[in-house]
Amino acid sequence: MFDVAAFKQQFPLLGHYPELIYLDNAATTQKPRCVLDAERAYYETSNANVHRGAHRLAVAATEAYEGARDTVARFLNAASSDEIIFTRGATEALNLLANTVGMLLSPGDEIIVSTLEHHANLVPWQMLAERRQLSILPLGITASGEIDLAELATFLARPRARLLAISHASNAIGSIQDIQAICDMSRQHNCLTAVDGAQAVAHLPVDVQALGCDMYVFSGHKVYAPTGIGVAYIHNKLLQRIPPWQGGGEMIETVAFSGTRYATPPGHLEAGTPPIAQAVGLAAALTWLAQQDRAALLAHETALHQQLEDGLRAIPGVVIHGQAAHKLSLSALTFGHVHPYDVAQFLDAQQIAVRVGHHCAQPLQQALGITSSLRISLAAYNTADDVARCLAVLADTLDMLN
Amino acid sequence: MIPTELLAHPFGQTITLTQLAATLDAAASWEAKNRLLVQLSRQLPDWPAEYKTADCKVSGCESQVWLRQDRSADGHWQVAADSDSRIVKGLLALVLTAYHHQPTNAVQTFDFEGWLQARGMQRFLTASRGNGLRAIVQTIEKQRQ
Ligand SMILES: Cc1ncc(COP(=O)(O)O)c(C=O)c1O
Repeated sequence: MFDVAAFKQQFPLLGHYPELIYLDNAATTQKPRCVLDAERAYYETSNANVHRGAHRLAVAATEAYEGARDTVARFLNAASSDEIIFTRGATEALNLLANTVGMLLSPGDEIIVSTLEHHANLVPWQMLAERRQLSILPLGITASGEIDLAELATFLARPRARLLAISHASNAIGSIQDIQAICDMSRQHNCLTAVDGAQAVAHLPVDVQALGCDMYVFSGHKVYAPTGIGVAYIHNKLLQRIPPWQGGGEMIETVAFSGTRYATPPGHLEAGTPPIAQAVGLAAALTWLAQQDRAALLAHETALHQQLEDGLRAIPGVVIHGQAAHKLSLSALTFGHVHPYDVAQFLDAQQIAVRVGHHCAQPLQQALGITSSLRISLAAYNTADDVARCLAVLADTLDMLN
Repeated sequence: MIPTELLAHPFGQTITLTQLAATLDAAASWEAKNRLLVQLSRQLPDWPAEYKTADCKVSGCESQVWLRQDRSADGHWQVAADSDSRIVKGLLALVLTAYHHQPTNAVQTFDFEGWLQARGMQRFLTASRGNGLRAIVQTIEKQRQ
């Protein structure tokens, strides 16, 4: 049996605010003590710059940083640690992809981007398309909020479709895509696939080799790790073909005014001093997560989500957006003429933290015909009491505002 | 000219900032302040859809906000505003109390943020980056220059 009380105790912030009901986990998760300890221990015992010093601390720092790369590779089941590039987050990872892999595309080529992508998985491709005269094909979603596989098939059949940008799971409405089927379809058409796993990694197992995707990105801070660190997985075959993007130290082999030679992959994609302590924190988080019974965490989250949506359906005036067969433990809501912002203010007054707005997915909100929604997103440290209290305050608030 | 139906509210004329400060200060908790804002919002007219045009929309807000400002024949600034959020509309009522029906010949300097802070309501200023309330007050002041 999963012991949620014991699990929750590992999170210092939640201990600091015993009354807080934190239901904004899709924005960022809280951090377990072991992650905070790992970052601190790194600074206290190993801090130096990586890859350069001729002294033992520099070796310790380099080992910690490269060890973190190994941990990420195991977490994603990448074939090699060389396929892991550290970035500031998922956003920077996607910009890296657009600026490197994107350079392999030619004017007239097409990029398929789904309607439910986070702006981070749309805007970098749009900027690339503008620079390189590519076009973007907006891939529709079904009424329940899943990728329209029939439309995907027609898009993939187009002769100039070269790249598919798709999220593993939606941050705005929670739909979990049939990412294996999507990657398989894309591969059959020799289309490159970039998967945005920002919302998936904290909840679902990921195996990039089984998926057969060319690229997979995520942010540390959404998987119990610190901010300032993210990952771009790039399959070795693709990695060997792509140019660097940011220039500076670390990414070079030799530099001269007559010409500069770049470091071998993946080094050529990491310019400057990297976020070392953050990488150490990420490795601690992923190691810790791997030690948990992940199936039990997921079962707990799923049960809470069931309780949440059952409760929501019993409150008059609540509309749940996104009815995919497989959903993250997340619900996006509107309330008729009652504004989500107002509801969130009353929840906040009772120390219940949720998010309102467009959730960085404006094309999706447009498709749903709404301008703003309220999102409740769960993590494994949430309890049945958290959900019950949220439902009660929500019902009272709607009653008052109506 | 602003349609008179949009100006049918007591803020800045029969309701003053001093009165509002006293009521807000008496509402001790966040919850009570939220409720008060909702009550205040009910005293501001809901704009008919035809007035909610793009040219009077204030961007950078958590919710949709519409604002119209003009000089009246008797030399006053007239301000009307609406929002699809009750709480934001309650905040608009506070803004109108400070800015509506002020003489156009007087230079108005009013530290609205300081006034909100003194009421313990700074959370409405810091909640987001493209902050709504700041954008609203700036829009009003810019239009008066
Ligand atoms: C699906 C998805 N993609 C990308 C991002 C961007 O992540 P970050 O802001 O950490 O770079 C987010 C986070 O909001 C997300 O939910």
